[in-house]
Amino acid sequence: MSTATLTREPAAAAPAGRRKPVRPARVALHLFLGAVAVGWLFPILWAVLTSLRSYQYTAANGYVSLGGWTFDNYVTAWRTAEFGKHFLNSVYITVPAVLLTLFLASCVAFVIARFSWKLNIVLLGLFTAANLLPQQALLIPLFRLFTQVPLPEFMSDSEVLYDSYWGLILVNVAFQCGFCVFVLSNYMKALPHELYEAAMVDGASVWRQYWQVTMPLCRPALAALATLEVTWIYNEFFWATVLMRTGDKFPVTSSLNNLRGEFFTDNNLVSAGSVLVAIPTLVIFFLLQKQFVRGLTLGASKG
Amino acid sequence: MSRPRSQAEYLARLVPPSVAGLNRRSLLAGAAGTGALLGTGLLAGCGDSGSGSGSDSKTVSVGSNQSDPKPKDVIAKVMAGFQTASGIQPAVNTVDHNTFQENINNYLQGKPDDVFMWFAGYRMRFFAAKGLAGDVSDVWGKLSGYSDAFKKASTGDDGKQYFVPASYYPWAVFYRKSVWQQRGYQVPKTLDELNILGAQMKKDGLNPIAFADKDGWPAMGTFDILNLRINGYQFHIDLMAGKEAWTSDKVKKVFDAWAGLLPLHQPDALGRTWQEAAQSLQQKKSGMYLLGLFVAQQFNNDEQDDLDFFTFPEIDSTIGAKALDAPIDGYMMARKPKSEANAKKLLEYVGSKDAANITVKNDPSTLVANTGADTSGYTALQKKAADLVGSATEIAQFLDRDTRPDFASTVIIPALQQFIKNPKDIGGLLTSIENQKKSIFTD
Repeated sequence: MSTATLTREPAAAAPAGRRKPVRPARVALHLFLGAVAVGWLFPILWAVLTSLRSYQYTAANGYVSLGGWTFDNYVTAWRTAEFGKHFLNSVYITVPAVLLTLFLASCVAFVIARFSWKLNIVLLGLFTAANLLPQQALLIPLFRLFTQVPLPEFMSDSEVLYDSYWGLILVNVAFQCGFCVFVLSNYMKALPHELYEAAMVDGASVWRQYWQVTMPLCRPALAALATLEVTWIYNEFFWATVLMRTGDKFPVTSSLNNLRGEFFTDNNLVSAGSVLVAIPTLVIFFLLQKQFVRGLTLGASKG
Repeated sequence: MSRPRSQAEYLARLVPPSVAGLNRRSLLAGAAGTGALLGTGLLAGCGDSGSGSGSDSKTVSVGSNQSDPKPKDVIAKVMAGFQTASGIQPAVNTVDHNTFQENINNYLQGKPDDVFMWFAGYRMRFFAAKGLAGDVSDVWGKLSGYSDAFKKASTGDDGKQYFVPASYYPWAVFYRKSVWQQRGYQVPKTLDELNILGAQMKKDGLNPIAFADKDGWPAMGTFDILNLRINGYQFHIDLMAGKEAWTSDKVKKVFDAWAGLLPLHQPDALGRTWQEAAQSLQQKKSGMYLLGLFVAQQFNNDEQDDLDFFTFPEIDSTIGAKALDAPIDGYMMARKPKSEANAKKLLEYVGSKDAANITVKNDPSTLVANTGADTSGYTALQKKAADLVGSATEIAQFLDRDTRPDFASTVIIPALQQFIKNPKDIGGLLTSIENQKKSIFTD
């Protein structure tokens, strides 16, 4: 084992020595890439840097300085904005919403991909087109609807969809379904048709074809979508702010506002809060990067 | 940004800057703004929605915008006091100050809490006129300890009361006693004295008047006080209500006076937040600062006693120097509370001496509206502020609370900022304000 690696090393080093001369276009490309990377990373790093400094220090010396290091902002942010509670609220909304979205979207996608009937394209078009609707434009009808739809008290103390987790879950499912249907149906179309013929010969019902043949094969697609959807729904801010009125029920993204004071906003504290709120998405992104990137191109080409 | 069509649309989407006081750079501002802009405003056009039926339950819900740690704690204590006194259980729903404001329109049209916190003056009258707030005139019959100025600020256009004041803070010119003693400065009583004092401060190497208008609203305080001093309270209120022309000589005189004072103000104000301006006062680089009592937040605990203020000096002796800005915060009742009796009991309690006493004991940064309260716990600064407001003949609520919020935000903020940048073209500026005013005050 060790000898094998030893003998290989010169061979690996050799091509590096024969590298082509650096061309100006390549330099320009790397400069550009570097600039873009800095452009994207700068705000995040700046926020992290700011969050670790005390307000007194930055107020006296300005933000373009070094010093006043402290971890208190994180402690204060966690306490004043009651992030513990609000993170849990985010979980209540995100987990069911993602599961439901994936289940419903896969059902629709299965029908679109596996059955040939007149409205196939129309249906797919309908779901995809829903992606293009600006969500805000639907606010008024939705708001009115939500204040009218009653819920039993054990489901929500507001007794209507408005100001309930159910409402937010529904809204998120509705808006995320379109994209998931689009991706999943293309993925399912790429599955070999023979599988289904074999399944049918064996007498599998439609449900079994869906649940036991298609779904296991879709695992990569579902994983990718789940990653994306968790991030999107977790980051959702708009609906949570307008369709909720009880401060204690806000998800963590909306509760970040708690860190703004009436007259005075401590930017360092808000930075710390933002970093805290961003951590789950960052963790998900770094752990599941592969799925994340694949998810964007999944189903883009039919095999 | 396209301009919404109805009054209500405007109102919902705008963050009232004086109270918001927020830093636009904060990460969420953009998102919150978009949400408020696109979302809440449009709802105004909708009619009403069903409300819960009356019940004789022993609870009452309270929508609170007091999300800062200290006021939040005070509210909790006041509510505990109410529970002990009445046996009714209050459920406080705290939403952060800015979100509460941005969402107020759909909040009120959806399922509002039985009692909610809001602002006196035009902002209260607006929702009262829309029928989104409950009449609390009979609660006022049981309240005592309020001056007429406060009652007036709680009264809607129809002559009924819709508001119970809880706390307020005045706007005045703040300074550090130690600096003034060291240099032998005297409180100016007239505009001329102010100019002389300013010149002296300049000679001594100080910024005479700290100034900041990055967020747009602090300069409104300067306009308010100059207009109150030069043209008087009634003209100011009429101007705010859109009844007077901005192109009149009276308004021009205000801007002329301001232009004369600008050289005494800290330069480059548009790039500075009020916190930074206040810090220049705290660091003894500026001589004085016209701001609300909340300026004290920028001073360390051991410096609080060094902070003093005077009301803006007289400009016209026939008008005097008795009017000022003192925004009032308080409570309103929802249009259809679950239990009106409980809601009114709560309003009666929060307007009482007992509630005011709890506030005085626990929060040294506000002044309570009820004059019957035991104010022996006030700091020297608070006492002086209470005396100042108590002796005021008229109380304005601050520009963006005295006029349509859309007018304040979309017209006045840019106009004042332009004036600060270029104080020469007053005529053109006022014509532009007047033209925009006509398109906003249509009904």
